[in-house]
Amino acid sequence: MFTQQLINGLALGAVYALIALGYTMVYGILQLINFAHGEVYMLGAYLCIIVLGVLTWLGLTAFSLPLSLLITVLVSMVFCAMYGAAIERIAYRPLRNATKLAPLISAVGVSIILQNFVMLAQGKEYKNLPPMLPSEGVSVLGANVSPVQMFILGASVLIMLVLHLFVEKTRLGKAMRATSQDRVMAGLVGINVNQVISVTFMIGSALAAVAGVMVTLYYGVVHFFMGYLAGIKAFTAAVLGGIGSIPGAMLGGFVLGLIENFCASYISSVYKDAFAFLVLIITLIIRPSGLLGQKSMDKV
Amino acid sequence: MKKLLCIAFMMVLLSCARQDENVIRIGAAGPMTGDQSKMGVDLKNGTELAVAEWNAKGGVLGKKIEVIVGDDQADPKQAVSIANKFVNQKAVALVGHWNSSCSIPASKYYNDANMVMISPATTNPRLTLQGFKRVFRVCGTDDQQGRVAAEFVLKKLRPKKVAIIHDKTAYGQGLADYFKKSLGDRVQVVYYGGIIQRDPDYKAVLTTIKQGKPDAYFFGGIYPEAGRLVRQAKEIGMNVPMVTGDGVYDPTFINIAGKAAEGTYVTFGKEPAGLSSAKSFMEKYKAKYGEPGPYSIYAYDAANIILTAIAETKTTDGAKVADYISRKTFHGAFGDISFDKNGDVTKAPYVIWQVKGGKFVEAR
Repeated sequence: MFTQQLINGLALGAVYALIALGYTMVYGILQLINFAHGEVYMLGAYLCIIVLGVLTWLGLTAFSLPLSLLITVLVSMVFCAMYGAAIERIAYRPLRNATKLAPLISAVGVSIILQNFVMLAQGKEYKNLPPMLPSEGVSVLGANVSPVQMFILGASVLIMLVLHLFVEKTRLGKAMRATSQDRVMAGLVGINVNQVISVTFMIGSALAAVAGVMVTLYYGVVHFFMGYLAGIKAFTAAVLGGIGSIPGAMLGGFVLGLIENFCASYISSVYKDAFAFLVLIITLIIRPSGLLGQKSMDKV
Repeated sequence: MKKLLCIAFMMVLLSCARQDENVIRIGAAGPMTGDQSKMGVDLKNGTELAVAEWNAKGGVLGKKIEVIVGDDQADPKQAVSIANKFVNQKAVALVGHWNSSCSIPASKYYNDANMVMISPATTNPRLTLQGFKRVFRVCGTDDQQGRVAAEFVLKKLRPKKVAIIHDKTAYGQGLADYFKKSLGDRVQVVYYGGIIQRDPDYKAVLTTIKQGKPDAYFFGGIYPEAGRLVRQAKEIGMNVPMVTGDGVYDPTFINIAGKAAEGTYVTFGKEPAGLSSAKSFMEKYKAKYGEPGPYSIYAYDAANIILTAIAETKTTDGAKVADYISRKTFHGAFGDISFDKNGDVTKAPYVIWQVKGGKFVEAR
């Protein structure tokens, strides 16, 4: 029972963590809370259903399921990365030197536009994806770990590792860290700041796309409004871990997923959301900068 | 001159706003958008089909009949605002709402405004126990349904332990409570509790239930949640059947849950396809809207009862129409319908259905 709840919580937390990374990276570099980020995740979920539908029609899912899942993830990532870059170019870049509130309002506007765009294009109804993977999984210490959960946990840990290496080891990663520390100075030493910001948005959006695909495979239902609550939860996770910090977002996501699951099982399934936010408030009272948020940390 | 033009313009607007008094308006209300929207649209189609037939015969009392549609989004607050809107539009009667949580608060407004309300789908017993003379339903009630489900579970499944979940709505929690009451102390209830509607993840609560090792679990609620519940129950390796109520009787449930839906038991009325009285309804509905939903025929009968009563009493006065409805027997597509003193149908035979091979079949 405990192990099962632990695994359920980790799978849910991995999804939160992936979305939270997008929030925290953008915040680190622009000090902007990108409220449209939840909608990018929702687009990723819809793309999952659309791409899998096309692949099934072509007969590829029957031929090789892992290959078609890989294609689905990649196509969603590419599309959402383009959405992310376009959102930044259209809605945020013209406001780069405006007051701090202007891009925030712009973000809310983008969020509303994307929600309504999907509602008009795809309908108001829930869209269903029949279960693609078998539900019988591996038994670990009395808990059933389903193939979807293995996929979620494996893929998200892998992606986080790659992201960590990218930020720490590559030239572009170094440029991102520099830009997050001081945008003007980074520009003066020859870093193309606009390009770095675009890349940050693309990476964040691609991560949200992965989360969207995972959730669609996990729960099998998508809805144009799903980005709102997921966005708020992921934002909570980012703040919990310390907004601006990449390891913080990962930790915050997992912690939030675990809190929700254990609260639902041991206290009350009805009050689990309230409990998650209560934990956030308590954390912020004790540690206002979040679990891992410190001024000296590199915040990308 | 400008002033005159303004006044003339306003006159035009006013005359547009004045409603055409040569029609009789009937409301159709239910969840037309959102995750339960299929049910609302089924309800609306059933009502519109009945009204179209009456209009083809020349309407009622020499007037055409118009259906006005209200979307309550399965939200009690919206339902009340729709009730007010219909009262302002001088609708004479209502077919709706679908959800118990919507019908119960809205019913007071219809009754106070002297409108007849017939719900095709609200099964919570409280709807007709409020003492409202103009409120009826053409479906069964949750105490009947809960009893049928409980008897079936005890006789056929013979569980040692059961778990009970509900969605905290008037319908879901009501049904779960009647089920629990009918079980009495004949079986051990290892879990009783609520879940949040529209929450994507129910794994935590299901894992807790699995811990109690029930032989079956009952769910009081609607198909979007039921679909996710059975799907996630199978994923955590809980292979006991779900028993649930009429809110889940729809193919959408099987679409959401896929193979995980197999073996689920659902209480619902008899299928109209076999009834000779329903033959013409089925043909016309299919030609116009496609496959009828579970509650389309109930809405069709409700609309026909209202219009028959208006035609027979030669008035749209709600009190007189309601009095007529409560005394007479109507020959509906679903067979003969008559009402008891509360406004419930005198016979509502619930049967147990089971999902087999991606379809609902009658369980024996």
